[in-house]
Amino acid sequence: MRCLLLLIVVVALSGCDRPSAHSHKQQMYVFGTLVEVIIWTEDEAAATEAMSQLSAQFQHQHQQWHPWEAGELHTFNQQLTTGKPTPTPDSIAPLLQRAIELSVASDGLFDPSLGQLVKLWGFSDNLVNVTQPPDATQLANFIKQAPHITDLEINNGLAQSHNPRLYLDFGGFAKGYAVDRAIETLRQMGFDNAIVNAGGDLRAIGSKGEWPWRIGIRNPRGEGLIASLQISRDESVFTSGDYERFYDYQGKRYHHIIDPRNGYPAEGFSSVTILHHDAATADAAATALLVAGPEQWREVAKKMGLSQVMVITPRGKISMSPAMVKRIRFEVSPEPNINVVDW
Amino acid sequence: MLRRGDYLIFLATLLLLPWLYFTLWGDQRAGEYAQILVGGDQQALVSLHQPQTIEVAGALGLSILEILDGKIRFITSACQGKQCIHRGWINLGGEVVSCLPNQVSIAILGGEQRFDAINF
Repeated sequence: MRCLLLLIVVVALSGCDRPSAHSHKQQMYVFGTLVEVIIWTEDEAAATEAMSQLSAQFQHQHQQWHPWEAGELHTFNQQLTTGKPTPTPDSIAPLLQRAIELSVASDGLFDPSLGQLVKLWGFSDNLVNVTQPPDATQLANFIKQAPHITDLEINNGLAQSHNPRLYLDFGGFAKGYAVDRAIETLRQMGFDNAIVNAGGDLRAIGSKGEWPWRIGIRNPRGEGLIASLQISRDESVFTSGDYERFYDYQGKRYHHIIDPRNGYPAEGFSSVTILHHDAATADAAATALLVAGPEQWREVAKKMGLSQVMVITPRGKISMSPAMVKRIRFEVSPEPNINVVDW
Repeated sequence: MLRRGDYLIFLATLLLLPWLYFTLWGDQRAGEYAQILVGGDQQALVSLHQPQTIEVAGALGLSILEILDGKIRFITSACQGKQCIHRGWINLGGEVVSCLPNQVSIAILGGEQRFDAINF
């Protein structure tokens, strides 16, 4: 009997053990944000080497893909404005190809050709010296002749713009694309358990030992978290919100996600959260759905091949796809009412 | 033959289990330290339990941070948009608030982090 009790005690207490920590973290300041890489491994030297490689990779991408700083995208944009056929640089071609596919799938609500419009609003310069929205007439004139990604013709590696206002800015998508490439690099180096978190948007692969990765989702209105979820295979979690980059002018908030249809910051949602295998798709889709607004978001989500979506309006009303409901656990009390939409 | 002491040990173990569960797996989200970064480099690691204000020189100028009651926030910033200030207090392990123009970031460390990453 005593042995039996001892056995029960030992078995019960063994359940309180935790996995020993083999989580290696490093933060890097790149793409104008803080990127954190977490690798779950016992090989510290290999993790350090991977961090160093990823840091160099991110820095290179930042330099090549920045629309306004000296680099290949900047030069490419300058050449496109001439209207003459110009070779697409190797560092830009796959990024551009994927951006075009996603732009078309989103019915142009995610449009990487609107760099000039983003600059007009001051969001390309991280809001340095921006105090008020651009002049309404100036915006109206731009929208009348606004470029679309379909104005860019690509034949045999040569790109030609048919709109002088077309200026590529991969801001709504480059982070996701870079996260995908980082995960690819980690896998090539033999790491199957990791998170690459670029300023709050992330892709997680594998798990943390026996445990899934645990992700908190920030409350778009207020402090703390609104929800959480677990990832144990390979998934990206991207959120676009009106609280990420904005300024207030005469009591109105102007945020950084611009609706290409009217030239003004998108209205209707405070945040859109997407779960999808591919970080680039999740990134572009979060932007497109925030622009789509309450009337169109489901239609655009389906066209982009999404099934797990959560949207929150400025008044805090939450709607979700049925597949998302199964993944989300609320972290606020009382739990909010949610509207589960037909899918 | 079981003695009274054996029963007491068994009872104590059963009582210990809920305490261990909540201690090790409970809702321990609050962090212990704030890591202050400028341009991605650590400038300071400060306890969230020592109330103070901290001046940090960023790319544009000064950011002033306040620590109170286990939380930290931006109270002044040289940036234009002041989103870092609008973000308010943070204290959860894994939370990050960044002033992108001034390149000053705060990351909450320590405690038993309930989340591996925060999506925002």
